Amino acid sequence: MGNICVIGPRASGKTTYLAALAYKRMTIGKSKQFNIIPLNDDSREIAEKAENIICQGESFEPTRVESVDTLPDYSFKIAVKKFPRIKEESFQLVFKDYPGEVFEKIAESDAGDAIQEEFIEECFRKDVEGCLILFSDWIKGTDNHYNRIINRFLELMDSHDRAKDLRLAVAMSKCERGELWSGRLDPETDLFNRHLPMTTATLREKVTPKNIRFYAISTFGVLRRNDPRPNRIDEQGKSGQASVLREIPRWQPYNIIAPLYWLNKG
Amino acid sequence: MGVIYIGDRETGKTSLAMELANPNSHYVKVTHPDYENLKVMLYDDAEGRTKATDASQALYDRALEIQVELPTGKKEILLEWLDTPGEIWRTRWQQADENQPEWQKFLGSIVDSEGILLVVPPYREIISGANREDYITQQQWCNRFERWVKFFRQDCPKVRHLVLCLNKADLFCDVNKEASRLEYSPNRSPMTWQKRNAYVMQRYFRPIQTQIEHLNKNISGLAIRCFITSIHNRKLLELPWIYLGSFLAD
Repeated sequence: MGNICVIGPRASGKTTYLAALAYKRMTIGKSKQFNIIPLNDDSREIAEKAENIICQGESFEPTRVESVDTLPDYSFKIAVKKFPRIKEESFQLVFKDYPGEVFEKIAESDAGDAIQEEFIEECFRKDVEGCLILFSDWIKGTDNHYNRIINRFLELMDSHDRAKDLRLAVAMSKCERGELWSGRLDPETDLFNRHLPMTTATLREKVTPKNIRFYAISTFGVLRRNDPRPNRIDEQGKSGQASVLREIPRWQPYNIIAPLYWLNKG
Repeated sequence: MGVIYIGDRETGKTSLAMELANPNSHYVKVTHPDYENLKVMLYDDAEGRTKATDASQALYDRALEIQVELPTGKKEILLEWLDTPGEIWRTRWQQADENQPEWQKFLGSIVDSEGILLVVPPYREIISGANREDYITQQQWCNRFERWVKFFRQDCPKVRHLVLCLNKADLFCDVNKEASRLEYSPNRSPMTWQKRNAYVMQRYFRPIQTQIEHLNKNISGLAIRCFITSIHNRKLLELPWIYLGSFLAD
């Protein structure tokens, strides 16, 4: 069973992404290509939350933590059938969803509280196959901020002897936004290079090429194939940090399984 | 996970809780204690009204088990109903030596709370029909809310869901019309929570909209949702609890 850490700054959409995976009825729809089966109570619970909260036009609360041990483990079986006559491939994944502030804190020189240490130890354990790193912002100063975090993250990865065998799927999340949607087909060039050039350069330079891939994902998706308006509304009064679905029946995420498949299969 | 249930005097907190237990329900049921028991505890038959909560004790810790019907089925919430008399919000009461133990006990309960339901009364300017002079003016209402803001910021650092209920909605709107507009259905509600909140906020909470936005930005991870409630309309009465149940139910 593959262990995956889902990490990223605050409000980058980590929990909502996991909820979309768990809530396959809406998000995968009638697709015969994929099937996702929640395997434990935590993943069934987050699927229910997706239905009770996201499908009722609300957004999740920010993840908070007092100890890494109290974080839920989400376990799924993902089955992929690439072609009709070829036997489906399936793999099981276990996810830990870390609060964004824990990830952001690793760039601070005085960091070092217990949660921080637990987070680092968990992330770089030998049985972790890879990390899915979500980024969502590119406003002025963000690239610099992300770059500092990534530099520190890669140092820690090296010091934990994981530099050569930990896969990193780096994804721009919330790609339903108009400024990003058109760049989804070549995310490395049109999203990362363009919006986060320093962070991208650091990752390319310091990570073995076979261990890194760039992705564009969208948990909410767009309204229709020929109506690419984002299927989201930014909430008023929450500093633009929380978004809700605009048209619930049209909830169709984009590309949420590809990074997991690569993290597991290479 | 405890939900704190607070409000000033005479805002109708006890009546709301008692009416919630009325067996004639839609999607929210109080499964324990039952309506008759709650009525004995809270209703004064001789006076024909709910008993005023006694100020000699700041904290009434009553456990309510509530069943909420959500889209994924029926869920249970164990509600820790910490009812307080309105007096405890008076600075003079809080500062009196004899009240210190009760006040500190209350603060101790609230500091870790993640859900707070605040019941506020209507203000004079929006009331039509009833005796308007019995209610505070809009300016006083805004000033009072500012004190709540200070309280939430100082004493409730962990609150994640703050539900504001503008009570006695029958005094200021057509409750049936508003109830059908805001109605909840587990299968397909006409409005999402986000739209309900935007509508109620714009229409009824406008005088304190800036303060609400300010508070939202000041407590990290806080979501504030506005509701109108009335004991005369079951649909409106249930909405805040369904909202809280979506996040807090097991």
